[in-house]
Amino acid sequence: MDFEPKILGIACNWCTYTGADLAGTTRLKYPQNVRTVRVMCSSRINPSFIIRAFQLGADGVLVGGCHPGDCHYGTGNLYARRKLAVTKKILEFAGMEPKRFRVEWISASEGKKYAEVVEEFTNDVKALGPQTKFKIRKD
Amino acid sequence: MSRIGVFVCHCGLNIAKTVRVSELAEFARTLPDVVVAEDYKFMCSTPGQELIQNDIRKHNLDRVIVAACSPLMHERTFRKVIENAGLNQYLLSIVNVREQDSWVTEDEDVATTKAKALINGAVFRARLLQPLVSRFIDVNPDVMVVGGGIAGIQAALELADTGKKVYLVERSPTIGGHMAQFDKTFPTLDCSACILTPKMDAVLQSSNIELLTYCEVEEVKGFVGNFDIKIRQKARYVDHDKCNACLACTEKCPGRGVSEWDEGLVKRKAIYIPFPQAVPQKPVIDRENCTFFKKGKCRLCEKVCEQEAIDFEQKDTFREVKVGAVILATGYDLMDTKPLIQYGYGKLPGVHHALELERLFNSAGPTSGKVVMRDGKTEPQSIAILHCIGSRDKNNHEYCSRVCCMYSLKFAHLLKEKTHGDVYQLYIDMRAPGKGYEEFYNRLVEEDVKFIRGKAARVTDKTDNPDHAGKLIVEVEDTLTSQFVTIPVDMVVLSPAMKPRQDAKDMARLFNLSTDKYGFFMERHPKLAPLSTMTDGVFIAGACQSPKDIPDSVSQGTGAAAEALTIVVKDKMELEAATAIVNSAACCGCQNCVRVCPYGAPMFNYEKNVSEINEALCKGCGLCAASCPASAIITRHFTNDQVMAEMEGLMEF
Amino acid sequence: MTAMKKIEENLRKEAKRLLEGGEVSVVLAYGRGYDENHPMPFAARTVEDVDSLVFNEYCTFNLARYLPKYPPKTKIAVAVKAADSRAVVQLIQEEKVRREDLVILGIPVTGMKDQKTGEVIDNKTTCNMANPVLYDILLGDEIHGFKGGSPYDVLAELEGMDHDARMAFWKKEFEKCIRCFACRKACPMCYCDPCFMDASRPRWADKSPTPDGHLMYHLTRFYHLAGRCIDCGECSRACPVDIPLYLFHKKLAKECEDMFQQAAGMKIEDKPAMVNYGNQDSDEMLK
Repeated sequence: MDFEPKILGIACNWCTYTGADLAGTTRLKYPQNVRTVRVMCSSRINPSFIIRAFQLGADGVLVGGCHPGDCHYGTGNLYARRKLAVTKKILEFAGMEPKRFRVEWISASEGKKYAEVVEEFTNDVKALGPQTKFKIRKD
Repeated sequence: MSRIGVFVCHCGLNIAKTVRVSELAEFARTLPDVVVAEDYKFMCSTPGQELIQNDIRKHNLDRVIVAACSPLMHERTFRKVIENAGLNQYLLSIVNVREQDSWVTEDEDVATTKAKALINGAVFRARLLQPLVSRFIDVNPDVMVVGGGIAGIQAALELADTGKKVYLVERSPTIGGHMAQFDKTFPTLDCSACILTPKMDAVLQSSNIELLTYCEVEEVKGFVGNFDIKIRQKARYVDHDKCNACLACTEKCPGRGVSEWDEGLVKRKAIYIPFPQAVPQKPVIDRENCTFFKKGKCRLCEKVCEQEAIDFEQKDTFREVKVGAVILATGYDLMDTKPLIQYGYGKLPGVHHALELERLFNSAGPTSGKVVMRDGKTEPQSIAILHCIGSRDKNNHEYCSRVCCMYSLKFAHLLKEKTHGDVYQLYIDMRAPGKGYEEFYNRLVEEDVKFIRGKAARVTDKTDNPDHAGKLIVEVEDTLTSQFVTIPVDMVVLSPAMKPRQDAKDMARLFNLSTDKYGFFMERHPKLAPLSTMTDGVFIAGACQSPKDIPDSVSQGTGAAAEALTIVVKDKMELEAATAIVNSAACCGCQNCVRVCPYGAPMFNYEKNVSEINEALCKGCGLCAASCPASAIITRHFTNDQVMAEMEGLMEF
Repeated sequence: MTAMKKIEENLRKEAKRLLEGGEVSVVLAYGRGYDENHPMPFAARTVEDVDSLVFNEYCTFNLARYLPKYPPKTKIAVAVKAADSRAVVQLIQEEKVRREDLVILGIPVTGMKDQKTGEVIDNKTTCNMANPVLYDILLGDEIHGFKGGSPYDVLAELEGMDHDARMAFWKKEFEKCIRCFACRKACPMCYCDPCFMDASRPRWADKSPTPDGHLMYHLTRFYHLAGRCIDCGECSRACPVDIPLYLFHKKLAKECEDMFQQAAGMKIEDKPAMVNYGNQDSDEMLK
């Protein structure tokens, strides 16, 4: 059987989560490997969440927020961008494949973009195979 | 140990078609702390709600998980359900197995597996949920309506009728909007002014409406129930308190500006009222074209004004208005068709756009209602009306502008009435889906209007045919006969796309709204909440949401008024309880929270050397919690533990 | 007289003056250890204490670390080398100390030596600047023309590795960790009390030293120091099992400087980079 990656999604309530809903309302079809946690704002995402996700066995982590300037809370995602950028550098320097972590700004009207991003990211992660570097082994 | 009930909704076949719902319920029963799991056809229906409530009582549940549609759809519904059964409303978790599962795959196994993972995540999270107590705040009873077109006017009048105070903000010197420019309205052909001006007057007469013309929204603070809005009153250079509307000034003024109301077909004075029926009937000075402002002398208006109302020293002023709800009815812009060079607008004088023709029809227009060419005297002997200019066009605006078919028919009728010319309609499809619209179309078919099914490809004045010299040649493929035809006409009328206001994005940012991919304001839900937005307490009406005709705009104005009323009718309103708090024992005093919060909710207590959060200001975004190195901030309902537990549950499957 | 001796002399002189005049209630500097090569951090509180003050090439400790421990408004004189002064600047930015409470005794110096190895400390493990960026009194002569090389040269090898090799490298290093927390104790920017690792809710990682917990601890700590680490190298010198923590800190400092056009602890008017955003920020940083 093909490797089906488990991807953790973290989406902001106002844009990306709503955009993902729109993908559903418009019946777009895309791979179902992303399981999404809804948070109110991408700025809620503690970088340790990302590390934890990989420890929990996520093969990839996809973070979605509002486009910069369109944050429901005004500036939340501008801080989030810096946080997540540094998180990406940390993961990469620790030896994690950078393609396993992706941040995308997806607005509430971009259902199509959501579906496309998920498809592309799923394929990227699939190509990398299972993530074992951070995964906690339960013996 | 918690006692969790899991309720799986079929949503008819919406979920059940792809997700094996009974298997899901069975699976849920195996999860820790789950004491009951059931599936039902429509969980949101009355029997579905009763099922949940009965189970809460029967099994003494203290957590409820509903696997159904998106939480954005029915979280509020189910919160009420469990609250009515005696549970705190925050002890609910919604699992989105419709929008983000059953609707986005056709594979049953895939959908069911994903649903299991999502439910597992929800169970992990639910065990850590805590009851939260809602806060109540006072609601300001007043409403602001932004935009004084027909939708805004309607909303303001409806609200004023209920006794509510309304601030109607309009950026131009008069209310009326685009509708004030029209001569007749389709399909009934009643005169636009006859139905609009009484409403404009009613606004002026209403003691509950404070009309703020020549004003713009500058800054928006606060939130539902308590908005604090800064309004810029642009300098009019005329003191409206003193002005008695004699308009002597406008007669004497030597300055000339372009008449916005007449679509630039004529000039108006530099001190002016936009049109004779404008509300208010008091002039403003257009600084750009005023002789005094340009050259430093003139002041003729000042000399003739007996009221001494002219004030060249006037500056923009600002005021803060507090309201409980806001309705945005900011309307649309007509697409500029100059860039579509194939139609020659701006280059070929015979080419007009729709609003220009509206002005030619209007007895108060530049030609006193005569349809003539730009020379002001020649009556066109043949006219072609070109539909879908920039609409239904992948290169410009993909959407249908909805009103053009009907107003083009209206044009055809009026042209037939006012000229003796031939009238051509060049259309892609004739769209007439409104009350009386199809009948209107049928009537026009009888009126000897020539319908050609095809989108005009080009308008040119070049021709080899001597008979067509001096004519405009419209080239089109008639898709009914598959023939390429050229039509020589005197006048071409373009029906351009209706598009979002040029500054719609800025407005959206001010009020924290989303815009759709074209830039129109986005509604909370296209069907169930078409007038609400993602910002509580801000509603939308009319063409700012999407192209609309007058009946729809009026309906939306009324609807938005009702929506706003649901907020301002109450003295108090419930606020989201999911705010952040500081665990002062863990606070390291780094003040990161103070630095990042967009609302200034955290304050540093220098005495105790810890941060404290003012919950009244907190919106629950969680930015502070993610910026806190000591994990001392608890974003209630989205705590570190809750989020990570959910992650753990999701990743287990 | 050597430069070091002159600094020591000036240190004593200034400390005496400041304590005598009551300008400060404490002078944070270095005192005698069990031998010449092992001086210790020392807080002189009285004029008598001043005689115990020393300075030599083994005085590596970053004394900024102790500043947040004093009650607010305590007047403190602190002896700082270049990187240490950046720590002070960073602490001022973060409002953990107030500029007006400090008398900064600047020490321009190069060629400090590691107490453990006796080797010269250079750009491999520190920011390798010669002069303090902020001071009130300079205890030695400003150093001109010092070229120690980029503090980021040392990263080349790790940066050149593929991801798997880098993972293997860190895995091996982190496995040595005994969770003694000496790194966080030595760090002038690690002032959280309690640290996230000490929290029981949420429990970010195992309390006992497990490799999974090490990963969470170190990576999160690196994150907490991103844009704040001033590259003094104290964490690595403090580490009893020689984990080259400085490499990770340097990497993030370098990336933050690239992304946010701001180096940690250089100007007191800067806002800490991770609780800020800039108009020039672009999505490029997420690539």
